[in-house]
Amino acid sequence: MKDSKPCLYPPLASRLYSVWFRHMRVYTRHIFSNGLPPFLEPLLFLAGIGLGLGKYITQSMEGLTYIEFLGTGLLVTTAMFTASFECTFGTFIRLEFEKVYDGMLAAPLTANNLIIGEIIWAGTKGLFFSFAVLCILTVFGIVSLPRSLLAPCVGLLTGLMFSTLALLITSFVRTINHFNFYFTGIISPMFFFSGVVFPVSNLPGFIRPVAEILPLTHSVRLVRAVCTGLYPPRLLLDVLYIVAFIFIVGFFAVRRLKKRLVF
Amino acid sequence: MSPTVIKVENISKCFGKVRAVHELSFEVHAGSCFGFLGPNGAGKTTMLKMLYGKCTRDKNSDGLIDVFGYDPAREELAIKYLSGVVPQENNLDEELNVIGNLMVYSRFYALDRVSARSRIDYLLGFMDLSDKLTAKIKELSGGMQRRLVIARALMNNPQLLILDKLRQLKKQGTTILLTTHYMEEAFALCDMVLIMNKGQAVMRGSPSELLERKVEKYVLELTGSHSLESIADGSVLNAVRVDRTQETLRLYSDDADRLKRLAGQIQGAHYYLRQANLEDVFLKATGRQLNERQ
Repeated sequence: MKDSKPCLYPPLASRLYSVWFRHMRVYTRHIFSNGLPPFLEPLLFLAGIGLGLGKYITQSMEGLTYIEFLGTGLLVTTAMFTASFECTFGTFIRLEFEKVYDGMLAAPLTANNLIIGEIIWAGTKGLFFSFAVLCILTVFGIVSLPRSLLAPCVGLLTGLMFSTLALLITSFVRTINHFNFYFTGIISPMFFFSGVVFPVSNLPGFIRPVAEILPLTHSVRLVRAVCTGLYPPRLLLDVLYIVAFIFIVGFFAVRRLKKRLVF
Repeated sequence: MSPTVIKVENISKCFGKVRAVHELSFEVHAGSCFGFLGPNGAGKTTMLKMLYGKCTRDKNSDGLIDVFGYDPAREELAIKYLSGVVPQENNLDEELNVIGNLMVYSRFYALDRVSARSRIDYLLGFMDLSDKLTAKIKELSGGMQRRLVIARALMNNPQLLILDKLRQLKKQGTTILLTTHYMEEAFALCDMVLIMNKGQAVMRGSPSELLERKVEKYVLELTGSHSLESIADGSVLNAVRVDRTQETLRLYSDDADRLKRLAGQIQGAHYYLRQANLEDVFLKATGRQLNERQ
């Protein structure tokens, strides 16, 4: 009964690529409406800050002018937002309403391949969104090249981190409206208290350890280091945190979400 | 006889307290068309999903699933690579157009662009969809979407075709597994039928064999409420099996003349004398009709 010849299903890398390819094709089908906002958003943000609020903030933050401080932070918050949306609403819709995954799982892909492909795609989006912000920051002379060219890589790591967290949340969610709690309760506070809009050191002492737990804090530190070219040794801890976060949260996200796909 | 390509032994599956499949066993031979016939909720779809790893089987059973020599619990990829699945619901990617759907799907099998494109052209022609190449999924009729799902399932030249509640299909050389609750379909297409009810196999065999062995040759169907007591000559009811389901009274016998005489004796009845079919086999075995909801 056993087939004499070995079965030549595609290798792991090819399977992950095919999942990534599906997402890329869907995304690039509407290249204008999907590709333009990542450039417009930082533009609006910087215009609002630069023309308005920025005038009142004259104090330097961690040795940067306010527009530099905030602008570099945006390099990673944009990756956080895109990966979070992709892997909450996006994943949920594919899972529950469109049944896209059911179709994909009839092809030679495992549920794990599917979920990990999703994470890699969200990371790619983080990279692209971060790159878009970098373009705007460069045009306005807020960051200097070539050292800032590494910033999209931090966007990639940020995207990977937040996609694993988002998928873990998605694995618990039964109705799509529950994601509102995640965005209002976790993602928005992270934007304000992770050293993006003001330094973590300005937080009251008892809250500072909380900020250290938040994943975005570490992304922000890493991206500022990249943009300023100053790499303090403690940065290694941030890198370690990010890598550990991706693998640990990713592990649980895959394990839990798999049960929603194969049961 | 052609070799066995699918072997299932003693497989069960529970969803919470619901027993979807209960200690099911069957074998499918290469090149044959094997049908699962049963009402909605009989466990047909669940059984199919367990074959290609979309559902996991219950671990506590000492069961075995072997598809082309592979166990879906460990080697689902090999099984999926060799099989094409047409699911019950059309799960096309609505964010992509027709060609986009098929190109993305061809990547899952790692087909290169050129051979994927020629395969797709062939499949779309085969399914009569050539002029819909760049159409959006929502622009396709239900029937066209169905054909596109079949084209997608045929992408990698499957050795096994798994069809869940499919109404139309062309027979070819591949092994086919299908589920249905339409007995005409099972009768017309299948070499082998496994009749399921409440997760269990009720009976199995080729359609003609089932008709020959498991049910009388003829049925007299009477609609409306009739009483058999009005029949003057009671002896005519000997060797006639009576089955009353809802509004319909069915009288079964191998002797058509006897049924004709019976019909004549029932006052003012609307009757219908016909040959027995798989529906009657199912009714006899389970006391239920195929299109009943569970």
